[in-house]
Amino acid sequence: MKTALILFAAAIPAFAQQNFDFKSLDKLGANATGSTNITLEGDTLKLATSFLGDDNSSFRNLTGVYVRSFEFAKAGQYKEADLAPLRAYLKTLQWTKVVDVKETDETSEIYLHALPNNKLGGLAIVSAEPKEVTVVFIAGTLNISDVGKLSGLGIPDIKLEHGGAKSNDSKKD
Amino acid sequence: MNLDDELKAALRREPAPADFAAKVLAKTTLAKTTLAKTRGSQARVLPFWRPPVTLAIAAALTLAALVPPAVYRYREQRRALEARDQLIAALSITKVQLQHVRERIQNTRHKI
Repeated sequence: MKTALILFAAAIPAFAQQNFDFKSLDKLGANATGSTNITLEGDTLKLATSFLGDDNSSFRNLTGVYVRSFEFAKAGQYKEADLAPLRAYLKTLQWTKVVDVKETDETSEIYLHALPNNKLGGLAIVSAEPKEVTVVFIAGTLNISDVGKLSGLGIPDIKLEHGGAKSNDSKKD
Repeated sequence: MNLDDELKAALRREPAPADFAAKVLAKTTLAKTTLAKTRGSQARVLPFWRPPVTLAIAAALTLAALVPPAVYRYREQRRALEARDQLIAALSITKVQLQHVRERIQNTRHKI
């Protein structure tokens, strides 16, 4: 019995650390008129961060960057339920919901994976509007100040050109 | 003249000219010298490691050794630049989303 309890206790963090399968979000875009899919991880991400320049060296510890953004012609063309697996994953012990703004038909949530010494193990943003849904998931060690600095890091404003050709999966799901 | 006499006359032994041996020796020496000269000049133009086939093979091997690494480097660089652009796009979207959330929070505060 004691052994079983120890095994169960050991299994909880192991389960919590399992990576989220971003394929499950593809259902969201079934009726989308435009989409932006970005998946950067492993060597490709290391390659990308090495080309960012010294000013943005704080991003060199990232282990995964995932963006799914879908735009719809009409309201109600995606199911909130398709976001449920991600929200369930973000409810695990590691993640804390730090922002939850709900308006009539819009929700914005920010989740952080807090680590000791003012460090973050990840950042997730879920933004759902009637005609647009965006999920940003950044995994890897970040300083809390880096998140605040994001707007001042020389990252250009890039207008999202929705459309099939802009589906930027570096790793084909 | 009968047939016997004609044959004897035709087959009679005649002494060689006095300079016959010298002429033959001279011609033999000339032939040897010419042959040696021809061989020598061929050796100078095309040594054993310079026939066209050998050169072609060497060129092909050199190309085979140099081109694939260059192509690999070019592809890797292109992949890195594409990845960097994607990362910048992802961070840009993150920035926009964070600003969007901040604006919503501010709007909510104003309403309160």
